[in-house]
Amino acid sequence: MSDVRPNVLLVEDDPDIRRFLRATLTAEGYHVVESASGRRAAIDAGTHKPDLAIVDLGLPDFDGVELIRRIREWSPMPIIVLSARTQEQSKIEALDAGADDYVTKPFAVGELLARLRVVLRHAMRGPTGQPTLRFSRATVDLRQRRVTRAGEDVHLTPIEFRLLACLAKHLGMVVTHRQLLTEVWGPTHERDTHYLRIYMKQLREKLEDDPMRPRHLITETGVGYRLVADE
Amino acid sequence: MKLSGNWTGYGAAVAATAAGTLAGWVISPRFDVVNVAMVYLLAVVFVAYRFARGPAVLTSIASVAAFDVLFVPPRGTFSVHDLQYLLTFAIMLVVGLLISGLMDRVRRQAAERATLEITSETERIRSALLASISHDLRTPLAVMAGASSALAASGERMSAEERSALARSVFEQARDMSDHVASVLQMARLETGAIELERDWAALPEIVASVLDRLRERLAAHRVLLDLPGDLPLVRGNAALIEQALTNLLENAARHTPAGTVVRVRARQEDGQIVVSVEDFGPGLPDGDLEQLFAKFQHGARELSGGGTGLGLAICRAIVRLHGGRVWAERVPGGGAALRFTLPLEETPPVPREADA
Repeated sequence: MSDVRPNVLLVEDDPDIRRFLRATLTAEGYHVVESASGRRAAIDAGTHKPDLAIVDLGLPDFDGVELIRRIREWSPMPIIVLSARTQEQSKIEALDAGADDYVTKPFAVGELLARLRVVLRHAMRGPTGQPTLRFSRATVDLRQRRVTRAGEDVHLTPIEFRLLACLAKHLGMVVTHRQLLTEVWGPTHERDTHYLRIYMKQLREKLEDDPMRPRHLITETGVGYRLVADE
Repeated sequence: MKLSGNWTGYGAAVAATAAGTLAGWVISPRFDVVNVAMVYLLAVVFVAYRFARGPAVLTSIASVAAFDVLFVPPRGTFSVHDLQYLLTFAIMLVVGLLISGLMDRVRRQAAERATLEITSETERIRSALLASISHDLRTPLAVMAGASSALAASGERMSAEERSALARSVFEQARDMSDHVASVLQMARLETGAIELERDWAALPEIVASVLDRLRERLAAHRVLLDLPGDLPLVRGNAALIEQALTNLLENAARHTPAGTVVRVRARQEDGQIVVSVEDFGPGLPDGDLEQLFAKFQHGARELSGGGTGLGLAICRAIVRLHGGRVWAERVPGGGAALRFTLPLEETPPVPREADA
């Protein structure tokens, strides 16, 4: 039988960070291809056919965002970004350029592994996504457009439903303000963040057990939102 | 130089020349006329020493004129027919210029020293920063070096629990250290004005929820109560920075109050602004000026013992001010503290209504 271990392209210039990531990823059953530079990574991404890429945004030779754009020109492979705290803006650019999620340095590897599992599961599920989501007491049937909470039907407005569906399409992954605004309200509204604030509040009031302490419709401050469903 | 200072100098020049003349008149019957010239030279030296170059030159000229008219025969006339008095004048002028030049340099150096004293406050903060960094970084570094070297040297002979406990302590220390470095950098960026405020619409309840999530472990021993009205308007600001400000207030409350006590987060709309409060029921605030709580490293020893950076509240104040708000502390009757900040309100632009209802 052929090697079924997922192939991970690790783009990181720091050898110490590569070392502990390689050790962890190998121990967790991934096959790791390492690229120490952006230029190298652009080639490796083509030749090694990775299932997933982990891209450090602080590459010395190459803009990580540019690398993501190049990969996105021909591949839908999941991309996770490693960013330092001082790279807030490029993190958002990377997500808008097509990265699927991010981890901020310094991170616990557990956090990175959880993100990896989410994006791989998403990639395997394909673009249709998961038809039914379960929250603590709510169920969302995306195909039937039916939402229930504690057995009762919950009415969502068309925009609320579109917003929820957009988050559900990237289940478990962060979706930036811009992505949500463009997809739900259209490209002319990509800066109308107040729409999002108001509609997220409405969604939480309808779906969360405690809207003030949401467990499913999670805020990623300054970046966007993340939908987390029960397994 | 101030004009009034100049006039004093020129007045002194005239007075010194007059005094020289008087002294010369007293000694002239018994001493040679050259000694009278010496008395005038003394006047020039005095003026040059006390005042600027202009008065010194004036004293030289006035002294030579008075000397020539009053003491050099024929007295009462101004006839420089003797070259030697030109030389007297030249010497007086040179001495005056030299001494006033020297004094000018001395005074400039004194002024520079005074400027240095003003910047010593900056120095104090810088050395407090260094002390804080070296203390707060050295301890976790020692733990990390010790724990990781123990793992590397004898990890195989340890139980799985021991190994994971050591590894976890390395991680926790590193994470705290990283937070610390981040807050030092943040303070520096806020102070140098390197942060340009990017404003967007933000919802306070979302920020509060996010802060509580971030501080879950640190607030685990406290009971957190939320008092956020459902109709709280959106605020215009930088959500990440406001989150940082609120995080620092809550960390401060967690650090200075005993386990099991209540910490309450409230928000209110009041007089065109939002007031956000973090109230605790701990031992209260120290005596003295409460404004000082928000200064950098103000209670260094207490902060260090509590594991803080001494920067949390200063960063909070800088962020709130950047947003055009203010932050202050209040003593809560019956013990406890309330730290509050305001954020100015702007009217939220309308959101299109859906046809569906």
